[in-house]
Amino acid sequence: MADGTIFEKRGIPAASITTDAFTASANAMARARGFPTYHYAMIPHPLSSLTPEQVRQRAREVLPEILGILGIEPLD
Amino acid sequence: MSPITVDTLDPEAVQRTVEYYFDQGWTDGMPVVPATESRLADFLATTPRGPDEVITSGPQWGLSCTVSQAAINAIMAGCRPEYFPVILAGMEAMWGGERNISPLLVSTTGSAPMLVVNGPIREEIGLNSAGSLFGSGFRANSTIGRAIRLIILNVFQLRPHELDQATQASPAKYNVCFGENEEESPWEPLHVELGYQAGESTVTGFLARGTLHIENRHCQHPERLLMSIADAMSYGGAQYAPHGATVVVMGPEHAQLVAKQGWTKAQTRQFLWEHYGRTMGDLRRMGKGCFEELSSGQFWLADEPNGKLMEGTADLPDDHFWRFGRSVDDVLLLVAGANNAGVSAVIPPIGPVGGRRNMAAVQRTE
Repeated sequence: MADGTIFEKRGIPAASITTDAFTASANAMARARGFPTYHYAMIPHPLSSLTPEQVRQRAREVLPEILGILGIEPLD
Repeated sequence: MSPITVDTLDPEAVQRTVEYYFDQGWTDGMPVVPATESRLADFLATTPRGPDEVITSGPQWGLSCTVSQAAINAIMAGCRPEYFPVILAGMEAMWGGERNISPLLVSTTGSAPMLVVNGPIREEIGLNSAGSLFGSGFRANSTIGRAIRLIILNVFQLRPHELDQATQASPAKYNVCFGENEEESPWEPLHVELGYQAGESTVTGFLARGTLHIENRHCQHPERLLMSIADAMSYGGAQYAPHGATVVVMGPEHAQLVAKQGWTKAQTRQFLWEHYGRTMGDLRRMGKGCFEELSSGQFWLADEPNGKLMEGTADLPDDHFWRFGRSVDDVLLLVAGANNAGVSAVIPPIGPVGGRRNMAAVQRTE
């Protein structure tokens, strides 16, 4: 979250991703960085106990939102 | 000490002041002592450091802590002014020099700052190093540890349910500061082992996951006794990933039993390090048998192999003993507690614990 806000403030498009278990911490970090309206992507918790295929599925699901944050039109 | 008179105090005003601090969110959940300008001056007078000097920063949160801010929180924690140099040395030990306040403080692990004090200042400020070491009842221990927590909560704003992501944390997160029981230790104290003079006072600081209690009241054999301690050091729930340091706090009775049979502190540490670990079979049975490389280049304990494993670890036989410590330096050995039973403790830390890097001398005004 901190890195994402720093990139954005310097004009470099960046997307931060968090699992829904960390919403409060993500919002607190955005406030601490002076960027309370910072838009980030969220995926369901957990992550570290998933198989590689389940991680890929999480990535596929969140991709449209990440592209939206980066201001990129989906290819398809 | 002269008796405290309260006849000039307005009890309602005291209550309102305490509630004001709660309303501002400036507490750890317990009442704090109001900080005043005159009290602040008393605290600042104990240290040669300037009030606006930055002790440590948290660049990821865009915040830093000055000597004055630390003093205000020490007052709120209930400290006496003469405790303040210990707090500053503790912060220096954990986060001084080119280091910053540790991001591990907001880890899901729930790490708690712990301070260990050596040297004559223990007696001067009444810091407990004997019975009920990790428990309550001693102002210096309770309030110095609490001051560190209040600095983390109020200055760095690392509050639970916000930036602090601890899954469960431990009671150690209220306050932990204790002295080494140098008087009843058969060995040289920690600061002397690391090159300081016995007459100097130092503070060692590290982040801990909690404390594990060890009882072995009847054993008279150093090896067997130390094996029970090494077993606690190596408990399956720990996250060593796949190497990590640990802290052993031997009760005086255990330390004296071992020393009386000729064991030096160095030999004791060596034995503990050699038996600090688990067999690969144990680790595999507990879902921790794969040392998997993360994108950062660090390793993580995994259950099934998904990514790149640490070289040479995939085919280790089940009876291979995997050492958690890289060297004897990964075992910090202290002696503390009452000399009244065969009891010791292990403190599983997170991050580095040992060496002069995690120790700072207490500096006071002349």
